[in-house]
Amino acid sequence: MRARRIGALAFALMLTLGPQVAAQERDAYEREREEMVRLIEAYGVRDSATRAAMRAVPRHEFVPRESVGRAYGDYPLPIGYGQTISQPYIVAFMTEILEATSGMKILEVGTGSGYQAAVLGEIGCEVFTVEIFEALATSARQRLERLGYGNVTVRHADGHYGWVEEAPFDAVIVTAAAGHIPPALVEQLRPGGRMVIPVGSVYGVQNLILVEKHSEEDVRTRNLLPVRFVPMLQGLR
Amino acid sequence: MTITGRPLAIALISASTLAYEILLVRIFAIEQFHHFAYMAIGVAMLGFGAAGTFLALAVPGRERAERWFRWAALLTPVALLASAALVHRVPLDATQLPWDAWAWPRLGLIYLLLAAPFAVGASVVLLGLTLEPDRVGVLYGASFLGAGLGACLALAILWIALPERALASPALAASLGAIASAQLAARRRLASLAAIAGLALAVAALVRPFWRIEVTPYKGLPQVEAFPDAQRVAERASPLGWVVAVDASAFRHAPGLSLLYRGTFPTQTGLFVDGQTAGAVSHWGEAGAGTDMLDWLPSAAPYALGGRDDVLVVGAGGGTEIWNALTHGAAAVTAVELHPELLKLSGWVGEGRSRRGAARVVTATGDARSYVAGSRDKFDLITLSAGVAFGASAAGVYALNEDYLHTAEAYVGYLEHLSDDGVLAVTRWLMVPPRESVRVILTAGEALSRVAPENLIDKLVVVHSWATTTVLVKPSGFRAEETHALMRWARERRFDLDWYPGIEGPATGFNVLEEPVLYRAAAAAIGGEESAERFAAAYPFRVSPVDDARPYPHHFLRAGSLAAFLGSDRGSWLAFAEWGYVALIATLVQSVVLAALLMILPVLARARTMVTGSWLRLVGYFLAIGLAYLMAEVAAIQQLNLLLGHPVYAVAAALVAFLVFSGLGSAWSDGRPGRYGSIAGLILAGMLGCCAALLLGLIHLLVSAPLVLRAIVALLVLAPLAFVMGLPFPLGLRALARDRAQGIAWAWAANGFASVVATPLAALIALEVGSNLLFLCAAAAYAGAALLGRAGAEPLKLAGA
Repeated sequence: MRARRIGALAFALMLTLGPQVAAQERDAYEREREEMVRLIEAYGVRDSATRAAMRAVPRHEFVPRESVGRAYGDYPLPIGYGQTISQPYIVAFMTEILEATSGMKILEVGTGSGYQAAVLGEIGCEVFTVEIFEALATSARQRLERLGYGNVTVRHADGHYGWVEEAPFDAVIVTAAAGHIPPALVEQLRPGGRMVIPVGSVYGVQNLILVEKHSEEDVRTRNLLPVRFVPMLQGLR
Repeated sequence: MTITGRPLAIALISASTLAYEILLVRIFAIEQFHHFAYMAIGVAMLGFGAAGTFLALAVPGRERAERWFRWAALLTPVALLASAALVHRVPLDATQLPWDAWAWPRLGLIYLLLAAPFAVGASVVLLGLTLEPDRVGVLYGASFLGAGLGACLALAILWIALPERALASPALAASLGAIASAQLAARRRLASLAAIAGLALAVAALVRPFWRIEVTPYKGLPQVEAFPDAQRVAERASPLGWVVAVDASAFRHAPGLSLLYRGTFPTQTGLFVDGQTAGAVSHWGEAGAGTDMLDWLPSAAPYALGGRDDVLVVGAGGGTEIWNALTHGAAAVTAVELHPELLKLSGWVGEGRSRRGAARVVTATGDARSYVAGSRDKFDLITLSAGVAFGASAAGVYALNEDYLHTAEAYVGYLEHLSDDGVLAVTRWLMVPPRESVRVILTAGEALSRVAPENLIDKLVVVHSWATTTVLVKPSGFRAEETHALMRWARERRFDLDWYPGIEGPATGFNVLEEPVLYRAAAAAIGGEESAERFAAAYPFRVSPVDDARPYPHHFLRAGSLAAFLGSDRGSWLAFAEWGYVALIATLVQSVVLAALLMILPVLARARTMVTGSWLRLVGYFLAIGLAYLMAEVAAIQQLNLLLGHPVYAVAAALVAFLVFSGLGSAWSDGRPGRYGSIAGLILAGMLGCCAALLLGLIHLLVSAPLVLRAIVALLVLAPLAFVMGLPFPLGLRALARDRAQGIAWAWAANGFASVVATPLAALIALEVGSNLLFLCAAAAYAGAALLGRAGAEPLKLAGA
């Protein structure tokens, strides 16, 4: 009898407190997101669409379970396969540089967790994103579907070749790069389009390069100042 | 057996700790980066000093000291193996130290694990000195000689074994030392059995290491190996670096490739040295399909001039620049590469000789500086490529690396080996704000002003892509048609010409920089010495040309700027920080703090009995000779690097010569009066002063001589110096530490701590003011020691001792 009473009490508590706990968690993430956006703004990101998207996308859904508590800190986090989810400021800065607006068709090379694609999707862009690691591509696809980003399409492929079938694109965003820019990406960029590409290593400095394609023959770059950089958190070893 | 047993044990234990130190530097350089290695080793060396402090405070009696000696000898191989195994089990991401509070205890644990074998090994030497005070010279000499043996052992094993396996070898040497010490024991059989068990453990570790080397994920190798079809196709060991070749379809290497290139990419094998990207071997299709890509690289700029028949490629790496020359019609290509394994993997030696174009290629393994100095050939083009990966370059992880290929003297050498129509081409990564490119432009200007000072305005071209800068230098001057050809070539590829003969001002380019810095640098460079100096002084980074006395062309941070960077918020300064330099300062600070804590606190704890005038004199003397020894050694290694043309030869020659001849000097000192120590200090001050004034000039005279002759000269210079440097320690003990047990221990502690502080301090002095002034600092320290240890100085007397 006593056990039944305790069980009933627990059930009642679950009914009453459960939603409260969930709501508190949601509030906590909202507060953290708000704080993250405030920091991004302080660092100089002015674009309201970018800030609104960053405020809306649940970044904690894009990090491994063990990193959820640090999801909104201004640093990258490991997501496996030696890859990271970029620090929020970088995501915001690159989005702003792209001048992403609703309806734009964007190619992303390096899906990773899918967070950058989600931010672009939140703005209303049609996003085609390529990931070389199959496991990352699969999990990002499932995550984006679950979160309702129907305007993001994920493909498992080598980003070096871009996405010929969907070209041309209004913008291209590359989230990892070596010392060269794949020619196919420049080719698949629509005249008048922009491409943003970080060059460098996650250790130390990344230079952001903005590529502006005025016509097929007129392609120019701008070497932006080194971006604010914080090394990734532990977990890759 | 007693006569030889103790020196033998001491020699073998010293060999093991020095070999372990060298191997740890290699292992950390692979797993992390060079500067982390120095930080860790700096603290590990504290083990030496800590052993001295402990024994000075413990004051063991003779019987106990004898027992401790054997125990320490038995424990050394175990401590070496345990240290290697456990250090690799402590997870640490060193880049997280500023933000992750939990990283600090882990760092502390790593330091402790690293210091332990050095402390145990040092105790063996120190207890040996205490037990046989009348043979201090012989025993200390055995320690020196053993350390020299250890240096040879480490370098030799790195040629034949992968670093993971090599790390077990110091324990082998220590086990043999333990077996030698066991012969001194009362229960000899039991001690021998224990020592043999240690030997078996070391052999087991050699066969199957108890640890695994894991490269930081921040480096290129683990990132490329994570690609789906990546396959490690070759792995080679050498003291110059751990070389790995990886095939992965998604790996591509084309530094600064034009955005308008529309052709095919070759398949490539990635080359990595110590986990960092070091180039790629391209596999061209049939009939050279894909080689057209080479003409769209910024490094192809000199070929736009035409007529580059005889080409010298400095730093051949994977061979991209060899192919570039061949594709552009070079009749003869000479490729010089320091790293023999890279050259083999690139396919231009051995089996690769059968590849297309091989008949036109001559390869040379070694230092390009010596090669150029010794060559009588003239080249139509001497080309230096961008080399290492951009990220590492921009992050300043090479700031502490000596590089004699980009000094003003080196550029003069290249220009002097150009044919009448010859061109020097130097390609570097374009950092933002530009640093390395600016220094290359200013260095080229200075070299030109020495070789062909007239009409400098016609002799320089600067071209930049979205990622690289290429500087072309032509002492005979660019003709108008050449300039036009270059302009056409650059425009087709959307590269920018920042400077060319006849330029009227900075032009709006295809690859826009915040400010036309490259134009201004070139204008300053051709404006003469004063204009270049003025430009460099006003530039926010240190970009003035470097010379052979201070060969650090990758160091740009001004010392005064560091405080300002540290004072700003974390994001804004990190982008410009040179990790190598920051780590060096941090190492110096941590060494001073830890050395002070371990040295001063015990003294304060027993202040009433210990701090006397004679104690201060003793500690001051041994601090001074500890500082001086390391400073002289570092300065000599730096200059020998240029003389011998090979960093491994330089380190090996310097370590072996210093340790062996110092050991002989130390052994010779037995039976000499203590006052000779002071005289030795004065002689050393004079000798080091001569080194500061004359050695670099002598090296410049000899750099083109055969290696054997250069090695003989190195030995002739170092041997007498090192012999005398072996005297001050044992003679100082005789003069100042009459109270043997405690005096020797304090002397050891002071000397050990000085060595710890001197390592980063000497590197910092060399970096800031150069090796000649470092020699002078060492001379001053020896002169100071001579004053402290002068005849009539009061030996150490301890109240209550």
